[in-house]
Amino acid sequence: MTLAMTLAILRAAFLLLLRDRGALLMALVVPVVFFMIFAEIFATAAGDQLQLRIAIVDEVNSDESTRLLAALTAEPAIRPVPAELTRESARDQVRRGTADVGLIIRADGENLATASGLAAPPLLLLVDPSRSVTATVLTGHLQRAYFKALPDLAVGRVAELIGTEFTTFTPDQQAEIAAGLRGLRAGAGTERPAGWTFDELVERDNVAGQNAALNNVAYYAGAVAFMFLLFAAAQSALGILDDQEAGILDRIAAGPGGIDVVVNGRFLFIVLQGLVQTCLIFGVAWLAYGVDLPGNFGPWAMISVSSAVLAAGLGLLLVTACQTRAQAQVLPTVFILIMSAIGGSMVPRFFMPHWLQQLGWATPNTWALEAYSGVFWRSEPALQLVPICFSLFGIGIAALGLSHWFGRRLVRD
Amino acid sequence: MRRFGECTALAGADLTARQGEILVLLGPNGAGKTTLLRALAGRTRLDAGSIRIGGGAPDERTVRRRVGFVPQAIALWGHLPVRTNLEILGRLAGLEGPGIAAAVTDALAWSGLAERASEPVERLSGGMQRRINIAAGTLHRPDLLLLDEPAVGLDPLSRQAIHRVLEGLRDRGMGLILTTHDLVEAEALADRVAVLAGGVVRAADTIPILVGRLFGADQEVLLMLAAEPAPALRDFLRTTLFSPTNEDRIWVGRLRGGLEQLPGLRSQLIQAGADIDELRVRQPGLHGVFVELTGQVPQ
Repeated sequence: MTLAMTLAILRAAFLLLLRDRGALLMALVVPVVFFMIFAEIFATAAGDQLQLRIAIVDEVNSDESTRLLAALTAEPAIRPVPAELTRESARDQVRRGTADVGLIIRADGENLATASGLAAPPLLLLVDPSRSVTATVLTGHLQRAYFKALPDLAVGRVAELIGTEFTTFTPDQQAEIAAGLRGLRAGAGTERPAGWTFDELVERDNVAGQNAALNNVAYYAGAVAFMFLLFAAAQSALGILDDQEAGILDRIAAGPGGIDVVVNGRFLFIVLQGLVQTCLIFGVAWLAYGVDLPGNFGPWAMISVSSAVLAAGLGLLLVTACQTRAQAQVLPTVFILIMSAIGGSMVPRFFMPHWLQQLGWATPNTWALEAYSGVFWRSEPALQLVPICFSLFGIGIAALGLSHWFGRRLVRD
Repeated sequence: MRRFGECTALAGADLTARQGEILVLLGPNGAGKTTLLRALAGRTRLDAGSIRIGGGAPDERTVRRRVGFVPQAIALWGHLPVRTNLEILGRLAGLEGPGIAAAVTDALAWSGLAERASEPVERLSGGMQRRINIAAGTLHRPDLLLLDEPAVGLDPLSRQAIHRVLEGLRDRGMGLILTTHDLVEAEALADRVAVLAGGVVRAADTIPILVGRLFGADQEVLLMLAAEPAPALRDFLRTTLFSPTNEDRIWVGRLRGGLEQLPGLRSQLIQAGADIDELRVRQPGLHGVFVELTGQVPQ
C-alpha cells in the first residue's frame, strides 16, 4: 500500500516534469550542454591539444632558423598568426590578445647555431603574464622542434659542451671527464656559466607590465562582474512579471505613462544596480589585490557603464520575451550560463579550442572581457575601447527597444 | 466589438456614463463586463466601434489623466508602506511636486487609513487593502473611476465600508463605473445599471425603470422543480411566459392579474406534469431584471 502511494507520487512528479519544459530543460538539456562545452575546453586545454596562436618573427632568416620554424609550425598545436610581422607588431598582437604568445628569432641575440648563453639568447618569447602557461607550452614545442629539426646543432652543442667542459679523451682526460661528471653530479640543479640547457636559448619578455597573478585577478573581476551583471539584471527584470501578476502593471499601463515608464524605470534601476555591483567587485580587486583601478578609472568606467547598459537591456529582453514567470525564471538562467561558459566568464578563453573562441565573439561576455583586458592587462588607450563600448551600449539600447515591444505585448489583451 | 480568437467578448455596448453617478455593469461570468471596463480604461483595443471619454479616445494621454483604474487584484507593492505606494502611484498618475503629498494625505483621510500609512500594505486586512487599492486609483482626482469588482471577497462589514467609500467619491462629483456579480451590491450602490449578457448590453437604466419596462404591473414568479422537466413540460412553461435559466430546474415567469391568480397557475403547472419544489411570488426587482435579461439565475 505504502509502496503504491509512493509510486503514485513518483508518477505525479514524473508527469509534472514532462509538462514543465523549463524544468526539463534545466534537468536534462543544460547539464549535457555544459558538459559538452567544458569537455571541449578541457580536452583541449589539458595536454597536446592546446592550440596556440603564435606571432612569429624571423629576424635572422638563416638556414637554422628556417628549419626550426618549419619543424615548429608542423606541430598540429601551433597556429602561426597569418601576417607578416615585425617585433613590435608581434608584441602588439600578444598584448591585444590576438596572439597567445610571440616568438622572435632575434637578430640582436646570439646565433642559434653557436649560442653560448653568455649573451642575449637567440629566441625571444613575447608573453602576456596572465597567459604565461602558453609560453611554457610553446617552450616545450620549441624544444621538440629543435631536437627534431636541428639535431646537428643539438649534438654540436653536446660536443661543444664536452669540448669546453671535459677536454679530450686521453687517459688523463678520462680521469678529467670522470671528475667533471662528478662535478656535474655535485652541481646538478645549480646555475651553469654557459651553453648548458635549452632554456638558455630562450628569453621571455612580458608584454604587459603587471604580474600574472594581478592580471588574473583583473580578468576574473571582469568575468565575474559581467556574469553577475547578467544574472542580477534578469532577476531584477522579473519584477516586471511580479508587477504583472499583482495587477500593478495593469494599473500603471492604464495611466498616462503607460507601460513605457515601467520598462524605462526598471532599465535605469538595473543599470544603477549593475554599476554598484561592478564598483564593489573592482573595489575589492583594487583594495584587496592591488588591481590598478584608480590609474584606469576613466576607461574602466566607460566599459562598466556600457556593460551595465547591455546587461540591463538583455535582462529585460530575456524576461519580457517570456510568456510566463516560470519561463522567465529558467530561460534567462540557461541563456546566461551558456553565454558565460562560451564567453570566457568561467574559463579563460585562450584555453578554449579555436572554434569556441570564435563562437565567444557572439556573446557579450567576450566583448566585455576583452574590453576589461584591454584596460587592465594591455593598458590600451581609452580611444581604442570606444568601438567595443559603443557596441555594448548600442546593443543594450536596442534590447531595451525590443523590451518595450515585448512589454506592451505583456499587458495587451 | 472585441474578439479573442473565435470568442466574441464584447459584441454591442451602447452606453453613456455621467459624472456624479455610479453605473454598475452587471452580468453573469463571461458576459463581457471586464472586457468593457478594460476597453474604457484603454487596456483593451476594440476591433470595431469606439469609446469617447470627455471627447477623446481612452488610450490618449490626456484622457488617461482624467480616468482612474482600479483592477480587481490588490495592485499594490505589498512590502512597501501604504504611503510610499500612494506616493509612487500618484507620480505615475501624473501628479507632481507638492500635489503628490496633498493627494496622498487626502486619500489616506477619506479611506480612513491615515493611522496605518507607515505600515506595509501586506500587513493590512483585506478590507483595508481594498480601500487603499481604490484610493490609489483616485489620487489624481479623475473625472471617471473604473473599478473591477472592487469589493470581491470581502465580509459584509468590509463591503459596506467600501460602499461608503464609493458613495463618498460619487458625492465628490466623480463618475464611477464598476463591475460586479453581486445583485445586493448593485442595488445598494447603483444609480444606473447596465446588464450585459453574451457580450451585449441588454439594457441600461435605473433599477425602477428597468423593472417597470420589463415587468409592468406583473409580479415575478420563481418556479423551482424537484426534477428536470420533460420536453412537454418545457413547452408548456414557455407558453405560460416562463423563461428558462442556466439551472434546468429553475424557471422564472410572470404572474399577471395579481396574487389571486397564483392557485390557478399552480394547478395548471401540476396538470402539465410539474413536480413543484417551490413556487415563489415576489415584487420584481433587480433579480428579476437580471434573470429576464440574461436568462441566468444569479449566484
